[in-house]
Amino acid sequence: MYNVWENVLAEIKQKVSDGNYSTWFQDTSLISTDNGHIVIGVKNSFHIKQLKVKFSDIIKDALLKNNLEVKVIDFEVQSGSKPRVRTREITASDIARETSIKPRRTTTSSNTPSFNNGLNSKYTIESFVIGSNNDVAYAAARSIIESPGDRYNPFFLYGGPGLGKTHLVQAIGNELVRRNPDYKILYTPISHFYSDFVDAIKSGKGKDFNRKFQKLDCLIIDDFQLIVNKEKSQEEFFNIFNDLYQLNKQIIVTSDRLPSQIKTVDERLATRLTWAGAFDLQLPKFEDKCAILRTKAELMGAEIEPEAIEYIAENVNTNIRDLEGELSTILLMSEVRNLTPLELIKSGSASISHTNSKIRPTSSKQIIERIAKYYNLTVKEMCSKSRVSNIKTARQIAMYILSKELSMSTTKIAAEVGVKDHTTVMHGINKIGSDLKTNFTLRDQLAEIKESIYD
Amino acid sequence: MEIEVSQDKLSKALNNVSRIAVGRVTLPVLNNVLIRVDNGKVSLVTTNLDMAVVDYLPVSSSKDGVTTVPAKLFAEFVSNLPKGEVIKITSDGPKVTVSAGKYQSSLNGSPADDFPELPELDETKAVIFKIGIDEFKQGISQVAIASSNDLTRPALTGIYFNTYDNILAIAATDGYRLAEKKLVKNVQSEISVIVPTSSLQEVLRSIGDDMDEVEISFNDDLVRFRLGEVEIISKLIDASFPDYRRLIPKDNNIHISLRRDELIRVTKLAALFARSVSGSIICEAKAPNTFSVKSVASELGENDSSIETEVTEDTKINLNSRFLIDALNSLDDKEVIISLASRIGPAVLQNKTNDDYTHIIMPLSS
Repeated sequence: MYNVWENVLAEIKQKVSDGNYSTWFQDTSLISTDNGHIVIGVKNSFHIKQLKVKFSDIIKDALLKNNLEVKVIDFEVQSGSKPRVRTREITASDIARETSIKPRRTTTSSNTPSFNNGLNSKYTIESFVIGSNNDVAYAAARSIIESPGDRYNPFFLYGGPGLGKTHLVQAIGNELVRRNPDYKILYTPISHFYSDFVDAIKSGKGKDFNRKFQKLDCLIIDDFQLIVNKEKSQEEFFNIFNDLYQLNKQIIVTSDRLPSQIKTVDERLATRLTWAGAFDLQLPKFEDKCAILRTKAELMGAEIEPEAIEYIAENVNTNIRDLEGELSTILLMSEVRNLTPLELIKSGSASISHTNSKIRPTSSKQIIERIAKYYNLTVKEMCSKSRVSNIKTARQIAMYILSKELSMSTTKIAAEVGVKDHTTVMHGINKIGSDLKTNFTLRDQLAEIKESIYD
Repeated sequence: MEIEVSQDKLSKALNNVSRIAVGRVTLPVLNNVLIRVDNGKVSLVTTNLDMAVVDYLPVSSSKDGVTTVPAKLFAEFVSNLPKGEVIKITSDGPKVTVSAGKYQSSLNGSPADDFPELPELDETKAVIFKIGIDEFKQGISQVAIASSNDLTRPALTGIYFNTYDNILAIAATDGYRLAEKKLVKNVQSEISVIVPTSSLQEVLRSIGDDMDEVEISFNDDLVRFRLGEVEIISKLIDASFPDYRRLIPKDNNIHISLRRDELIRVTKLAALFARSVSGSIICEAKAPNTFSVKSVASELGENDSSIETEVTEDTKINLNSRFLIDALNSLDDKEVIISLASRIGPAVLQNKTNDDYTHIIMPLSS
């Protein structure tokens, strides 16, 4: 096709002046010739009218001479007619951001389902990256998609913030709807659940509240832990849960901890929620993080060096949400700066944000005092050589916090908390670090201690 | 063709349109201004094929016709005629005669057929905004300063008009700094286009004292600005603008309030000693009450000035002094807020009384 256009241009060149040729035809290209519908690419909108009005006969003649069928000639602005220097292209998912004009805001598109299920279609099962941290939960999710309401009912999913709970449960919902558009699903964060419930009571329709749930085929409740202290809502949820469960409808619940660890949750409800087992999402390991980053970059259509991926994976240790946030910031900055991600990282302008950076520095002494106070010990007791388990744990927590918050060296910490040498400190930090992954009580305690330190 | 028009009106219009009529060797007709009289409506048109300026001229009498004459020559001739004269322009083929009282000249024009056809904006599909002239002028000049002139990266050579949360915002970045202005609130239409900065600067130059509103119409690949009798049509840049709002840091928690004139003074002082290409100066905040600006040039000496203000937390950042001065000059409050993070990150500058204008400067590596 390219050659034909060269010939056409040569033909045109003989008919028009050099000035006209280089101004109007130099940067043109032939985009398509489908069934006599000729589309010619031009540099900018100022060229279209001129070519149409002044040169269309010449163009038509030249096309005909080259044995092309001509019915209509259209022109299109094509910035690609002149290749631009760009080291890296971000396209694919970014196409939405292409310069474009929507004439007026249209309120609803015609193909939205009549029933608002609360699902966000961006969460798909395909984009969920499977690794050693989540493969069990993923397998259960697949089995639910195959036969909802069967083996894993209720499906209870728990894990820390930003590890993909919402993604996985929304993906289940989306996949179920995709397979059967008539399937009635409701996704609701528990906070909406109880605010709806409060509204219903206010307007005197408290009794009708559970009716809208009875028609559902699948109910997804997110962030269940927030039900703390909402006894009436809990009771209502318990009733709805029982109704749906009797009818073998799929129930999916997520939370950041096990139901038995949520304060004020009724024991009956707690055991019921974990009847079919509780599945947890853990922090991804280094390899999992690399895989997540690679998939995410691929979805964004961006290129990123393996070294850059490893750098991000090594430096973000909090959760997947932060990991993705950091990746998109780096990709964006590298697009703006016109550097590759690795060059950007090497230039030092991409400093990985530490989530705790907002915390003001405090003295180590203060931290130790607060921790001792939290555990009802004196500083002297805590920093003794006692092997009593609660004192030992308090001491290890102190080591952990000093190391994470103040980035103190292990030798210094050893001197502060009164242990013999730095290996003891290293052991303590590792111990707390690994306990935190499984022990939710410890996680809560740590959060409370941090709060008290930085208050 | 025949026109009778007063000297001051013609001179003003010609000055306005002739700026973009710059020589192009391959197509000499682009040096010319097109004079068209159609049903008594007189228009002067010039184009450089990226944009076009059209000026509708109020005349006392006219006869239909069309011709082109060299724009610069014509403009200079008219501007040197005595004020208040009535100028008569007649064309006979390619010869154009201009006479005013005892002054007369004849210009060699070229046929109007050679003049390129201009694209037209499809009104029915256009998205239209009307903006007060002062806000428009201020907004564009505040943002244009951050725009790049690196032609290999076309998206950054323009100003990005976009809407979010019913706000029409404009933004520009050159990769080292970013400026955003919320231009109009409560807009209904949605838009996302890049307008070449050079075209916008031309629009600013065309603003006269008697104008109070600009009407901007966007089409798929064109934009049109209407200012009284002047119409400017420009192409849009066909590229995608970076998702700039994600570059605005949200966790800068050290907010320092400073007097703008004082900060400009200390920055200028420091800039004298910052002679390297990047003009790097060190801004340092020290709790509880010192903000200092330092620079060192090993061969010249060094400078250290400080301002007293409330500081909650220590931090330090290296900035390009020129960028900082540019940003401060774009702000207009008496007091400005500079927001920094405790780690190395971009600096955010805003007026103290409102957040309509945001200027971000990337730090330099120390």
